[in-house]
Amino acid sequence: MRLTRRSMNLRLAASLTAPALARAAIAADETIKIGMVLPVTGPAADSGKYALTGAKIALDRVNKLGGVLGKQVELVTEDDQTTNPGAVLAFSKLAAQPDIVAFLGSIRSTQNHAMAPDILKTGKPVCFGGTDPALTKMGNPWLIRFRPNDSYSGRVIASYGVEMLGKKSWAIVHSTDAFGMGGLNALSAALNKIGGKVVADQGYPNQSQDFTPVVLAIKSSDADIIGSYFTFDNDIAIFARQLRQLGVTLPWVGSPSIVVAGAVKLAGPALWGTYGIADYAVDSSPEAQEFAKLYSAVSNASPDLYSAWTYDAIGVLSAAINKAGSTEPAKIRAAILSIRGYKGAEGEYNFDEFGDGLHGYNIVRNEKGLIVFDKHIEFTD
Amino acid sequence: MDFFLQLLFTGLGIGAVYALVALGFVLIFRATSVVNFAQGEFSMVAAYLMVVFAVDLGWPYWLAFLISIAGMALLGAVFNLFVYYPLRNRTYLPVLISTIGASIFLSNSVLALYGPQPQVLPGWLDTPGFQLGSVYLDSQYLIIIGVTIALVAFQYWLFEHTLLGKKLQATSQDKEMATLLGIPVAAMIMITFVYSAVIGGIAGILVAPVLFVSIQMGSTIALKAFAATIIGGFGDVAGAILGGFAIGVIETFGAAYISVPFKDAFAFLVLIVFLAVRPQGIFGERVAEKA
Repeated sequence: MRLTRRSMNLRLAASLTAPALARAAIAADETIKIGMVLPVTGPAADSGKYALTGAKIALDRVNKLGGVLGKQVELVTEDDQTTNPGAVLAFSKLAAQPDIVAFLGSIRSTQNHAMAPDILKTGKPVCFGGTDPALTKMGNPWLIRFRPNDSYSGRVIASYGVEMLGKKSWAIVHSTDAFGMGGLNALSAALNKIGGKVVADQGYPNQSQDFTPVVLAIKSSDADIIGSYFTFDNDIAIFARQLRQLGVTLPWVGSPSIVVAGAVKLAGPALWGTYGIADYAVDSSPEAQEFAKLYSAVSNASPDLYSAWTYDAIGVLSAAINKAGSTEPAKIRAAILSIRGYKGAEGEYNFDEFGDGLHGYNIVRNEKGLIVFDKHIEFTD
Repeated sequence: MDFFLQLLFTGLGIGAVYALVALGFVLIFRATSVVNFAQGEFSMVAAYLMVVFAVDLGWPYWLAFLISIAGMALLGAVFNLFVYYPLRNRTYLPVLISTIGASIFLSNSVLALYGPQPQVLPGWLDTPGFQLGSVYLDSQYLIIIGVTIALVAFQYWLFEHTLLGKKLQATSQDKEMATLLGIPVAAMIMITFVYSAVIGGIAGILVAPVLFVSIQMGSTIALKAFAATIIGGFGDVAGAILGGFAIGVIETFGAAYISVPFKDAFAFLVLIVFLAVRPQGIFGERVAEKA
């Protein structure tokens, strides 16, 4: 072959670009990407850390077993700053990456509401942990829930308080965000059905520095039991301490935030003797115990719901993509919804047509700082 | 009545914290004509220093306190050198943005260094509090109120009865005139930053056993303290103190007697009323611009 300037240039150009093109092709094919929106900064940054740890444990497991569709699975994360605008921004950053096949959304209902329009537009499955019942019932097929929703939490709190503890007059303390309001409605509705009544409804804004007015209102009401929906660890800890200081010793059944590691540590003795519902409880099943073992190998914190749902979400998602044999969004969704009897750390996943995977809760007790499993209440309707 | 007294006590306690942070705002504003938006972060950093020394390293509380305060003095000096000093001859806006930047930098640095979990800092006293009649007095709140009153007294003495105080006042009133009179203005501003960082730090350490130690503890307090300074009349020490107590009491009573969900709104409602009716604040001078 005669060397001309043109052929030389062509060859040079080819030799320079070919490796880059080949690399790009390999990179696109190499892994299956899952996007994750989580708080790295802001008031919920601690829970974000737990969530990431849970997801990573599941990811390791999946990858060690050969990955998904023969490829390794990779997590791409974005910080939601614990705010709704932050969550929307984080999700749109992830959604702009076409090779991400599915997402892990937020554990906070309010943030999932904020992201929902973009999720609908993106049209890929988003596994999330928020418990506002409305999220899976607003016609957005891509929202798939990995924790029992608050219609169950309300029923479990009500039935435990009324039927097991025999208390009928309730004071409900709740955050005024989407989660807290959803919880209030669910618990009030459940109480109405089984003969309990709400005698004090006390909403508070997140990050309150003082709960004296709330405590005094409970004290002066004739409530004989407290039900609660708190969003942040420091809020529940401050409330618990002021409650005890002002001499209120009523039994207290709380939403899952009452038994998460952070709150138990902050509040100390102020939360001893309280009951909580927990989607994750170590002693509730062999799968939950296995997760606890894996978790304690990589972290010195105890596993809780923050890490358990992301662990289960990655597990279910990987199984579903394998089952679908494709990364096409509609096929992944159909495969997730067809899952029956998947035994995760939080319980047994049986997805319904709305995308709700779990239908019951564990009741646990805080015994001097230790969270003890009491019983599991499952609903089939 | 018991209900009322209990609320009054809590309101004064939380108000004292706002007052202490507001004091830091006012001092720096007087010296530099700029609002320091990192004032809340001073409280947060000091609380974390206490957690490191008193909890993690297990040193005696008083020693941890002294070292934390020394650390805050150092932070105040560094803050002055890097955040304020390079921009001292510019208008207030670049300096303001600089302090906002510093605030984000401080909170994210602590987040990166210490991690996001809220921490527990034990109180000064072993007794959490005691019952007086039907009112429960949280010992930490008693300390907060006591220290606030003591610091206000100290500040009054400093500004009104010492030469240093007079120099600081002269600097805040007219830097050029103060320079002509031989007052080392740069040093005075340095002292102001150090002192404000220390006061903010004391507020953080005092409030930590009540509110726990978290990255965002500073900003939630600072926002209310900022409202307190405006109500009191920006630049007025007595006004900031009164404004702090007023906001604490008003929001607590508003929450109890009107609505808990609107608790945070009461502070800002009062703020709006003041801005509309008496923009110069309770003790503010009736002039638009300081000479």
